[in-house]
Amino acid sequence: MLCSTVRQILVNTEKKYGPEDAVRYKISKNEIEAKTYTQLKEDSESFSNVLKKLGEQGSHISVIGATSYPWLVTYFGTVDSGSVIVPLDVNLPAEDVCDLIDRSDSTVLVYDEVRKDVAAIAKERCPRLKTLISMQQAEHNEHASSWRKLLEENRGGFDYEPEPDQLCTIMFTSGTTGKSKGVMLTHRNVAENATCLDMKIPERTVLLSVLPIHHAYCLSMDILKGVSLGSVICINDSLIRVAKNIKLFKPEMILMVPLMIETIAKKLEEASLLPAKIVKSQVFGKQLHTICSGGAYLDPAYIDLFNKYDITILQGYGMTECAPVISTTVSWNIRKDSVGQLIPNCEAKTVDGELWVRGSSVMQGYYKMPEETAETLEDGWLKTGDLGYADEDGFVYLTGRKKNLIITKNGENVSPEELENALSTDRLVGEVLVREKNGVIEAEIYPDQDYVKKKRIKDVRAKLQEVIDAYNLKAAPQKKIYSLIVRDTEFEKTTTRKIRRF
Amino acid sequence: MFEKLVDIICNYVEVEPENIHPESRFMEDLGFTSFDFMSMLGEIEDEFDVEVEQTEAANIRTVGEAVDYLEKLASES
Repeated sequence: MLCSTVRQILVNTEKKYGPEDAVRYKISKNEIEAKTYTQLKEDSESFSNVLKKLGEQGSHISVIGATSYPWLVTYFGTVDSGSVIVPLDVNLPAEDVCDLIDRSDSTVLVYDEVRKDVAAIAKERCPRLKTLISMQQAEHNEHASSWRKLLEENRGGFDYEPEPDQLCTIMFTSGTTGKSKGVMLTHRNVAENATCLDMKIPERTVLLSVLPIHHAYCLSMDILKGVSLGSVICINDSLIRVAKNIKLFKPEMILMVPLMIETIAKKLEEASLLPAKIVKSQVFGKQLHTICSGGAYLDPAYIDLFNKYDITILQGYGMTECAPVISTTVSWNIRKDSVGQLIPNCEAKTVDGELWVRGSSVMQGYYKMPEETAETLEDGWLKTGDLGYADEDGFVYLTGRKKNLIITKNGENVSPEELENALSTDRLVGEVLVREKNGVIEAEIYPDQDYVKKKRIKDVRAKLQEVIDAYNLKAAPQKKIYSLIVRDTEFEKTTTRKIRRF
Repeated sequence: MFEKLVDIICNYVEVEPENIHPESRFMEDLGFTSFDFMSMLGEIEDEFDVEVEQTEAANIRTVGEAVDYLEKLASES
């Protein structure tokens, strides 16, 4: 059902599935605790009361921590009261976090004790910040209030309906280049993104949430879509324990980024001599049937590989500026080379090779960055920065990023992603970055170490040069690679696991 | 401890046990990716019955450092 505010999503599901589990999480190694939809709604309303009592209803509220029940309650309690949530990356250095708290004009910070380092310096660094709330602290003290205590002291319903066009969240983009920008999204932006497409995912599906919670894709698909379907949202406590948590929570669906899918694929290839059914139940459990992939481009070859194990990979495409989903594949209509069909609230056109999109999920702009906003939005159209097009059926095809375009000396445009994807098909190439250097195209490659060992390759550099030579033979003149750098460590990644471009 | 760890490492990367030394680096010498490494830590938790701290584990670079860390955890529990 289409919802236009986040509150509608939670209220509708609570009516239908109140006493059923909404969130499951570990309290010790093998012990799971659960909260029902009624508890989630009531606790969220109590948190709305907390904000009202503090005189902060309508203010900007920063939250930092890994995915947890208090995090989710803080999220719903904030936005349902008409306040604006600012979800921050739990892995950012404290100084950077303070910069974002400050730039987002937050007056309240709700923090997980894993980031007490942020809490220690935040008040000093962020002059507007008035209140600190610790998610774990048992009692109030002079430094911070106790989240739990505040909830207890402010129990009760909270009758407020946010308007669809009211600001709901400011989300900072991780950005592969440049200063991070605060994407302003309304309730309609996020709620319609999560609910406008019926993906035919059964209600009450059990899903395991493994991606960082401040990530728009995780928030929209795991949390908001999850809640709209009355799903059981299981919280993965650490990337160390994904395999173990799959066994413990028995999820039917998981959202991943391509790097994770690639690691699992290696394991599957190693076990390829064993019967597929056994491998499947060992690695994923019998019940897992769907993996959604987003955040970066996934080689369609993985879709076939996982199919052998009865796992459907649904590749999606989006960006925080579009709340974030633009297109997604659905299980009954997969076109492997496409990143899926435009979702119903989104239309697309191509301008000078670049994909532009318009619809009810397109952001209001970047917070306090009018110039960047004007560069990105034009008459309601969002310039995605991606090269590509949508066909007559709304399937989206991408060929590269405009931002990283290489302009060669003869004026030809080359998209580094296209070359990177071509080189990546060779098993020796683990990670690759292509760029322009001194007028020629340069590839920097981190070889696949497993493969090097397996094939006992002595001179990795020479082998990689052979790969480049073979590629060059078939490549158009402007796309030939003339410089090779071999790395002995992985590339530095952004927190969403994309290679950081410099 | 070292031998047990070598066994586990061999489940993740194709390296002969005799080629794994205390000074071998997980990423550079043994060919681990960051996600492989985290998955292995999960297995170690079960095998040694310890709780690994992700932030502390992130500083481990060599097999020897991992052994030291695990011995420290084992002595604490």
